[in-house]
Order: sequence, then C-alpha cells, then structure tokens
Amino acid sequence: MTETAEPYVNAGHAVDQVSLTFVAGSAPPVARNVTYERILGARSEPHNWLTYYGAYDGQRYSPLEQINTGNVRRLTPAWVFQCGSTGLQAGATTYSFEAAPIIVDGVMFVTGWDGWCWALDAATGQELWRYKHAIPFDVSLCCGNVNRGVAVAKGKVFYVTQNAHVIALDATNGKPVWDKTYGDVRAGESATVAPLIIKDKVIVGSSGGEFGVRGHLDAFDLETGEHAWRCYMVPKPGEPGSETWPKDGEAWARGGANCWITGTYDPELNLLYVGTGNPAPDFDGEVREGDNLYTDSLVAVDPDTGQIRFHYQYNPHDVWDYDSIAEHILFDLDGRKALAHFDKNGYGFILDRTDGQLIRVFPFVDRITWGEIDANGKVTPKVYPDKEGEPVHFWPGPAGGKEWTHAAYSPKTQLLYVPVQDVGATATRRRREFKEGIPYWGAGVAVDGEDMAGSVSAFDPRTGREAWRWRNDVPMCSSVLATGGDLVFAGKPSGEFIALNARTGELLWQFQCGSGHHSSPTTYSVGGRQYIAVPTGWGGWVEGFLPGMLGAPHGAGLFAFALPD
Amino acid sequence: MTIGVEKELAELGRQNGATIGRLLANGNLGRAEEGPDGRMHARIRIPPDELVWDPAVLILPHGGDLELELTNDDMNTHCALLPSNGDSQFIWLVNHSRGTASLNLDGPGYYWYGSPTGNDEGRGLIGAIVVMGDAPPEARLDRPPQPRP
Repeated sequence: MTETAEPYVNAGHAVDQVSLTFVAGSAPPVARNVTYERILGARSEPHNWLTYYGAYDGQRYSPLEQINTGNVRRLTPAWVFQCGSTGLQAGATTYSFEAAPIIVDGVMFVTGWDGWCWALDAATGQELWRYKHAIPFDVSLCCGNVNRGVAVAKGKVFYVTQNAHVIALDATNGKPVWDKTYGDVRAGESATVAPLIIKDKVIVGSSGGEFGVRGHLDAFDLETGEHAWRCYMVPKPGEPGSETWPKDGEAWARGGANCWITGTYDPELNLLYVGTGNPAPDFDGEVREGDNLYTDSLVAVDPDTGQIRFHYQYNPHDVWDYDSIAEHILFDLDGRKALAHFDKNGYGFILDRTDGQLIRVFPFVDRITWGEIDANGKVTPKVYPDKEGEPVHFWPGPAGGKEWTHAAYSPKTQLLYVPVQDVGATATRRRREFKEGIPYWGAGVAVDGEDMAGSVSAFDPRTGREAWRWRNDVPMCSSVLATGGDLVFAGKPSGEFIALNARTGELLWQFQCGSGHHSSPTTYSVGGRQYIAVPTGWGGWVEGFLPGMLGAPHGAGLFAFALPD
Repeated sequence: MTIGVEKELAELGRQNGATIGRLLANGNLGRAEEGPDGRMHARIRIPPDELVWDPAVLILPHGGDLELELTNDDMNTHCALLPSNGDSQFIWLVNHSRGTASLNLDGPGYYWYGSPTGNDEGRGLIGAIVVMGDAPPEARLDRPPQPRP
C-alpha cells in the first residue's frame, strides 16, 4: 500500500554487512594441507597452533622460546582485533570471548559469541574474512553466549553454533561447505565446544546439562558432513551403566552428562578422553538415586566407532554441579601413560590412561567442604542440599575449584599449572517438575560475592605437591599457557594479562587489557616473530564463578603480544 | 487501579506520547507465504510517522530461505539490518523507497531485525522473525517424549 502516487525510490537488494567494511573476503589457502598427520605432529611445527590445545595431548604447551624469562618484560601489544556487535544478540549481557585462537601458517582462525567466526592475518590482525551464523535470540543458554573455537583440516574450518549446528567453512573465504544440526534447541540443547579432528572425522559434544537433556558426543565425516556416530553419555535402560539410575521412571532420559569441552586423544591407544558434565537436575539428587553414570566422568571413547572403552567417575551422584568436563592432560609419568585432570570438586587426579586406574589424587584448592576423597579415590560426601528449602553452604561452589578453563603441563619443567578458584556457594534445594526446554536445577543457588581467592598454582604430578603458588585476590578464571621460554601466561578477571616464571611463579610482566579474561591464550610465530594471542571479554557465567565482578567491563578484544621489532 | 490504562496505552502507541519514541513490542503480526519451490515470501513496511515495522512480528512456518520486500512509507530515512546465515543483510531505506532482501534462517527460534541508524531501534524500529517448527528428526534426543510447558 502506498501513501503517495509518486513512484518509489529503488532501494536495491540488501547486501552482506561485511561488504560495508574493509575486509578482503579471502585468506591464503594455508589450511589446504592441514591433515590428520600434521595434527598428530603439531608440536613439531611450533610456529602454528593447529588444534584446540595446541596438540592432541592437551598440554597447552608450546616449545617457542623467543619470548622468555629474560625478555618478557619488553612484551608489548602487536595488534588488537576488536569486534563489537550491532543490534540485539542472544545472551546480550552474557556474551564472552572464550575461544582458543588456531593459527595455520600466518592465518588465525577464531570464533566469537553469537555465531561469529573470523580469519585474521596473524601478523597484523587484519580481518581476512568472516562468517556470521544467525543465532535465535531465544536460544537456551545456561551459561552465556559463548563459543570456544574452531578446528581446521583439509581446507576447512569447523565450528559449532549456539543453536547446535556444526558447520564446515571454506578456509579461504568463509563460505559454508556443509551445515548439520546435531542438537534439539526445543529440548534445551545448545553447542559451545571447539570441534576436534581425528582421522577423517570432526567430533563435537552437546551443551544443555542445566535443561535436563541426555548428553552426547557426535562424529561427522569432515569432507561431507555425513553423520558417523553418536555416543550418549547416559545409558538407556538395559545398557551398561543403566543400573546406576533409578529402575523406574525417566530420570536417565534427563540425566545430563554433556560433553561441552574438547577432548584429548592418544593415537597409540586410539582413545579419545572426554570429560562429562553434571547430572540433571543439578542439585536434587533424590529424583535420580544412584551413581548416575557417566555423569562427571572421564569417558574413554573409540573415535572410530563412538564406543565407550572405560570410564572413571570423579563425582558419583553429584549434587553440587561439579561437571568433570575439564581437560585430561596426557603426559608421560616415569614411563607410564598417565593423564591429569583437575576437577571442579577441588581435587587433582592422576590416572593411568590405558585403563583409567587411579594413580594419585590430591586437593588443589584450600577450601573443600562438600566432602573428601581419600588416597584410594573413595568419595565421602559431607555437605549437600538434601532437605527441601534448607540452605547449604559448601566449597568449592558450582563453578568449581577450577572451571572449564584449562590447566597446562610443561614437559620442560614437568609441572602442571592450574588456574584456581577458591569461592563457595549456597544451594537451597527446590524441587521442580521437569518440562522440556526449561532450566532443571532443583535448587536456588547463590555464589559467594565475598571471602574468595584465586591463584595460578604449580603441581608436581609425581607427588601431588604444590611446587609454587602465585596468589590473586579473586579467582583465576582463564586458561593458562606454558611455553619453552619457561613462562606461564594467564589472564586476570580484572583485565591484566600476566606472565609468570614457570619455575618459581614470580610475576614477570603484566598488561591491562581493559576487560577480564575467560578464554584460552595461544602462541605462534610468523616470520620468526613469536606472538602470544589472548581473547578478552568478561562474560559468560560470571554469576557462577565470580559474581563479585558482575559489574566489570565487558570488552570484546583479541590481543596479540610480541617483543618489539 | 485500571482507570486510565486505555489512555496510557494509547499514549504508548505513538511517538512523543508517554514515551519519547515508540515503545517496543508494538505492531502487527504477519505470516510469510511459502511458494511451490519451498522459498518463503513476505512484505514488511514502515508506515508514516509510526516508527514501527508492519508486521513487527513475521512468522515463518519453518527454517529456510525467505525473500523479503521492504517498503519505507515514512517521511524519514531508515534502514534494515536483517539476520541471515552467513552474514547479516543491510539495506538503506530512504524516504519512500522499496527494496528487497534474501535471508536464510534456521528454525526453530526467533530473530530480531531493526533499523540501525540514529536511535531508530530504541525509538521503535525493532521487529522479530519467528521461525516455527522443530529440530530435524536426526538431531533429536533418543528418549521417550517429554512433557513441555
């Protein structure tokens, strides 16, 4: 209907928003020759960061040593990539830049919140191309609008979207190659994980453990997107492990155990080590009596078939929201194939990764009141919300003595470096009826806003003893990075990016980035110059891990640091 | 306590009444039509002096491709930033102009669209595209049907 007889001005056809920028729209074909074999040998090309943890072993260690204890004081920003947002977005106040940047021969591939994926020139920060998946404004996000990064192989960039798609992009221009849905948003599922490439497959896990879903891991053919297998982390009645769920009812069908953090992989054993999330409802254990396998567990999966080979459950019958999704760092322990895991429950575990047998368990945070775990791994709960309407306070709170953000291991120092959160919480059990797509916690929870602390702590895996501790006045909520320069990098909630001496914990350098850190720094080199890259942007589940800093600046910047030219 | 509500609602339903601009969550609802090729089609218009999209809520029966015709019948210049997989779509809409946009959206869920110029969004020009339907069968959980709200 027109309001005037005058002909309309022809406004033309809408254009891609990126066409209104200086973005070139193309990147060099660096990803074309990224193969499974190259990812296997990732540490032999330290100028790159080829996969989520830098290598399949999850050590988050780079042998690069140009930046070292002797010169790190001269470290300075080389470039900054900023990405504010236009208009409304999902999780508008909870977005956070949580990715681990991937670098392939001078090109950085990184994701942001709300469906963003970028290719950047790793030496200059120049944006080369972008892909923006449209994310429904009303998607169910338990813990913020976040994404943890990409995988790269065979000329493609793989990432997941908050509405549970896994997408393959052409690494030279960001155009979609294939797009598959692997979660049901109406059931409360979402996706935040960085995919992992193993052989010819791209492997992704689901999010949504706070909505009473059934967690799963999925594999897709990396060339075609054809679905290869799905591995549910809660067994159906009659399957192994189903005896740990109530015999009657459908608690298993809402049982949680989501795999929302990338696994690690031992190619010799052909085992993928995946951590699983909390059971649902998080705090009301009475409706799901039993150990609730495979929630809060290490699950060793055959990546060819998706079959579970063995498991180790860290929190049988969890009622504290102690996801065990955190990384499993693979390392050699005096000739023994071992792995290390720092659980939300405040204990560090050293396991034999051939069979999941416990080697050592030790506390890594000062205050643990929920219960205790003895040297044999026996778990004794002490404090938990079992009475309706009665508040119960416990340490660590639901964010854990360590959250999802990652520890590191230096084969040079043979120490494990852990970002520690010492903060408690009060949970008051409140039973609720299950309804699909509605949060299913079974409690009201308030995390302490006072009386908290944090640290980056170094542990000797041979003894479980703390080698050193760098103390912070609030929890440390970012991943750490260890380098051949005998440095440990970490980000503070108050915005400082810091470098510590890997042997002593001495603070050697810091830079105020203007926004807190909740991401995973990586390192690489271009043209012989080493860079340290760190996404900043305070957000995500701040109310869960550091509510005392809910008012801190949000930010949306990716910093790259280097020594002066 | 309800005396005066209708008057206040009327004041909220126009520019420079109760509010300075136009309160959000105003406007009509419309539905996209599906063509024989499966592509959906819809028209969205900005009427004169109302600062509202018409329809402000556009319903799509399912995810997929949408062809939009956009008309600005207002006496001021606006624009549209529309959600679409790959990249958001932008178009200037000067006074008394008409243009088109091609969108691709997943379902289910709803998406915002708006006019990111001046403070058009704050003054009323935010709308929603609601995509109906379910996740594809292969993506759903293997479990018995569960109760929904």
